[in-house]
Amino acid sequence: MKVVSFLKPYRKPMIIAWLLMLIELTVELLSPILMAKIIDEGIIPKDSRVLLTWGIVLLILSLISFASGITNSFFAAGAGQHFGYDIRKELFRKIQNLSYSTINEFSTSSFITRLTNDVTQLQNIVFMSLRIAFRAPLLVLFGTVMAFIVNWRLALIFVLSIPVIVVILIFVMKKATQLFQTLQKRLDHVNRIMRENLQGIRLIKAFYQFTFERERFKKVNKNLQDSSLKAFRFIEFTGPSILFLMNICIVLVLWFGQKELLAGHTNAGDLVAIVNYGTRITMALGMLTWIIMAFSRAKASNDRINEVLSMEDEKDAPISTKVFINEGKIEFENTSFRYPNQTFDAIRNINFSVAPKQTVAIIGATGSGKTTIFQLIPRLFNATKGKVKIDGVDVLDIPSKELRMKIGYVPQESHLFTGTIRENILWGNREASMEEIVEAAKDAQIYDTILSFPNGFDTVIGQKGVNLSGGQKQRLSIARALVRKPKILLLDDSTSALDLETERKLLKSIEKYECTLLIITQKITTAKKADYIILLDEGKLVASGTHKELQKESELYQKILCSQDAKEVLTNA
Amino acid sequence: MHRRMNRNQGGMTTKDLPKSISLKTIVRVWQEMAEKKGLLIIVLLFVMLSSALGIAGPYMIGHIIDGLIYESNQFQLLPSLLILLMIYFFYSLTTFLQNYWMVGIAQNTVFRLRTRLFSHLQQLPIAYFDKRQHGELMSRITNDMDNVSSTLNNSVIQIFSSILTLVGTLSVMLIMSPILTLITLIIVPLMYVGMKWITNRTGRLFKEQQRQLGQLNGFIEETVTGQKIIKTFSQEDYVQKEFEERAEKLREAGYWAQTYSGFIPKLMNMLNNLSFAIIALLGGYFAFNGWVTIGVMVAFTEYARQFTRPLNDLANQFNTILSAIAGAERVYDILDLPQEIEDEKHAQDLQKVVGKVEFHNVTFSYEKDGNTIQNASFIVQPGEMVALVGPTGAGKTTIINLLTRFYDANQGTIYIDDRPISSITRKSLRSHIGFVLQDVFLFEGTIKENIRYGRLNATDEEVYEASRKANAHSFIMRLPNGYDTVLSQDGSGISQGQKQLLSIARAILRNPSILILDEATSNIDTVTEIKIQEALHHLMKDRTTFVIAHRLNTILHADQIFVLKEGRIIERGTHASLIQQKGFYYQLTSGIHQELSS
Repeated sequence: MKVVSFLKPYRKPMIIAWLLMLIELTVELLSPILMAKIIDEGIIPKDSRVLLTWGIVLLILSLISFASGITNSFFAAGAGQHFGYDIRKELFRKIQNLSYSTINEFSTSSFITRLTNDVTQLQNIVFMSLRIAFRAPLLVLFGTVMAFIVNWRLALIFVLSIPVIVVILIFVMKKATQLFQTLQKRLDHVNRIMRENLQGIRLIKAFYQFTFERERFKKVNKNLQDSSLKAFRFIEFTGPSILFLMNICIVLVLWFGQKELLAGHTNAGDLVAIVNYGTRITMALGMLTWIIMAFSRAKASNDRINEVLSMEDEKDAPISTKVFINEGKIEFENTSFRYPNQTFDAIRNINFSVAPKQTVAIIGATGSGKTTIFQLIPRLFNATKGKVKIDGVDVLDIPSKELRMKIGYVPQESHLFTGTIRENILWGNREASMEEIVEAAKDAQIYDTILSFPNGFDTVIGQKGVNLSGGQKQRLSIARALVRKPKILLLDDSTSALDLETERKLLKSIEKYECTLLIITQKITTAKKADYIILLDEGKLVASGTHKELQKESELYQKILCSQDAKEVLTNA
Repeated sequence: MHRRMNRNQGGMTTKDLPKSISLKTIVRVWQEMAEKKGLLIIVLLFVMLSSALGIAGPYMIGHIIDGLIYESNQFQLLPSLLILLMIYFFYSLTTFLQNYWMVGIAQNTVFRLRTRLFSHLQQLPIAYFDKRQHGELMSRITNDMDNVSSTLNNSVIQIFSSILTLVGTLSVMLIMSPILTLITLIIVPLMYVGMKWITNRTGRLFKEQQRQLGQLNGFIEETVTGQKIIKTFSQEDYVQKEFEERAEKLREAGYWAQTYSGFIPKLMNMLNNLSFAIIALLGGYFAFNGWVTIGVMVAFTEYARQFTRPLNDLANQFNTILSAIAGAERVYDILDLPQEIEDEKHAQDLQKVVGKVEFHNVTFSYEKDGNTIQNASFIVQPGEMVALVGPTGAGKTTIINLLTRFYDANQGTIYIDDRPISSITRKSLRSHIGFVLQDVFLFEGTIKENIRYGRLNATDEEVYEASRKANAHSFIMRLPNGYDTVLSQDGSGISQGQKQLLSIARAILRNPSILILDEATSNIDTVTEIKIQEALHHLMKDRTTFVIAHRLNTILHADQIFVLKEGRIIERGTHASLIQQKGFYYQLTSGIHQELSS
């Protein structure tokens, strides 16, 4: 869908706005004639009747023009703002519909600039076109036509210059659009550094890296300044150049005008009139500089928005597909996955099957592919080879909504949102009643903590939950998953900040949810309780079985066990 | 209209709107620009020059036409035309140059303002950031500054030349006929009243528009960042609805801001016509009575038009000017916030640190009332490892915040190596402290750059060495580009545990005397963790270490454990001695109380 098509619904207000603008313009063009009349027929011959009549006519006309101007303002602002709103809405929806891997590859800061700044540029240009932009071209047209009527031979000079100017303008537009593309891109960069700094403010302060960060910012800021200078200066060069060109035409008109005069083809009054129209046209063209700038910037923004709009939606099974997840059986069949732009597989030929309501623990070193396995289940990424099946159906054939509705995913980074605690739990299930929220909070072992806050469930947490501790964040994000009453629960190392006792209670209360539980963990004590354990190493499934079996068979498992026993001995000391 | 406005805006009544924009902001932006005074004066001169040339052009045309009419055959057209051509050429040239320099001044001003905004933000207290969405602050540095940028580019020259034309025309008018001038000026108060009425409304609306834009920006930033959650929880529809609600608010504010500001040029235009009519009628009356000549009368109508034209031009840009002022004001809102306290005048750099830390009767609270830390006193000997334990809000992080001087104590003194930390510059103080925080911060850049962040002047060899110690080296070498692998946004592409390894390598590279670990190894598998623990132990040997502990196994090795509750250190000792005491710590660790984890 192209950006321009978003204007369609506003055809009516736009046409009204244009008509109103035309009325204004007509009055504007008429009033000099009226003024001339007042002067010539009223003031000079001292005719007070003419003076009064035409004076009143002029007043009425200007009132009409005022009224249409004011009304135009409503329509133009309305069309512009609604148009902008519609684009934003569509753009945001588009982003929601993109696959996770597409979003992951795209720069967040660039999405943000496009949704705000770029849309604003477009909005401005619509507002402007509805109010003044066509004024300049219309004035040019009007001036040329009038000049033609007066003396077509001399007017020809202007007509001939117009193609030249059009060619120049097209060239300028093209070039300026490129320059503004660069400018917007650099705005993305400024946005990015700013965002990184906000996210990392604690560490930056702690490491006292202010100078370093300032230099980083200065660099992107300088780049932005440079490209702004380039773009704006390029435009500023165009205006005076076109002006000069038009003024040469006027000089030419005077030159040929003399010949015409001497030859008797024209009279002095007509020559004056033509020169007059010439200067008017020139002035109108002067306005163009500004308009071209806005248009090329809008064009650049337009392209950037179209780029997002034309991205491919996440592939999904049709919603009509009647597949339902009732059991929660999970199967990986020869599954491999490679992240985009990587040279090696994150996981390779993984085979395992989890029966409904079973609990399986996944352990392995950092970077061994545990999280990757999890991300394939709700289809954040799609397997590059092999299949992932739920209840015997390939996840690719399950509508993503149905699939994800049945999954409670607790990622490693417990990403929380600005809002109250209650709102954050509600993310798991919008329809959840207060009792259900409380139940989920209790089961996630966070209820007491929440009550200890002065505002309880209405405590506002900051972005990403900055004002909570690691353990609180994890438990809150578990509560968020539990409130869904999922068929499949995925805990990605989500209990790392919890002590053993809390963790034990948590896992105990999860039992009553009767869901298939996949749990990534670093702790053998946790893994031990699972029905069986999957051991990953460098993307490969190296062993699976119960604690006892692995203890006997897997060397790697023994090594891990050893590393933990050392600790447990201490813990129990 | 007013009623309609209230209805359409729904919840947005005038009361909710921000205060209108103020003149002070314009003055401040001007002062900002005046830093390039020399260039600004040159621009001003060129505006005068081009205005003069702008008048000379039509004059020359008049001369030529007169010549053509009255002298016909004898008139030497060519020289006059050449002069005219010259005038035009220099007119274009001066216009170009004045714009060229003005864009320079404008963009430079914007550049400096952005940089200042950025530096100022860096120096704001941590608490400021906890309450705000990142995107909201980002909007100020991009969207708001962008408004300022485009306005400075054009409007300044516009204002200059308007004033110039205004003054010029007014003087000519005064010379010609003071009475008629006065009559012409009747519309000025009308203009003023009209402008004021509109500006009062639009000013706040533009501020509201920018505010809503900022909030929308904040929402977008958060939701794009949180896509993983939104997708897995199928909350796309909900987010979409929320987004639309916010976008609607922006639309409403924008709609009324644009509509009202759109009145201004129309108002100008009408007043313009009005003034013409007044002059025509009254002037005509005067002329009939012979008080003024008809020539003066005719000239006056022309001047009256000229008089209002620049105002009209300005009025056409009014909406951009207003939104720029609103934007600038939001930037100044931040610049006016008090920064973290500056270093004391006598503060000195800390050269070498042994690592003794002492808190002496330290009391502190974030807000005026209520103490977060009450009368904390303790001494940590060099090389000791201290664990801070306690429920949320007990003050563990606050102690670290005070030690690093993110905040200064209200009462009491903190000593490092027996020197009060208030006598030490923040920079040198923090250069001796290493942090491993729970939230790993990685920026877009290579892995090497990210590790080197710990100590910017470290050699490549030192970076590799630190990575080896942190057990990060082997996984880095497995990446296709090794240390030159570019981490994309948020460091995606490597696992959470690996990110923690990088952050530990960074701290090791820093080689600090005091080390602060905040749940540093939670997402690392135990085999690796043990190796890191070894490395950390090795690292901690000659260093004072503070650990904010969440898990028991990290606390066990501590030389001292401080148990905090409600801002007080209620128990202290080693693990064994505290267990024996059977106090709060015993409760915490035996799991009767659930709060150890926080």
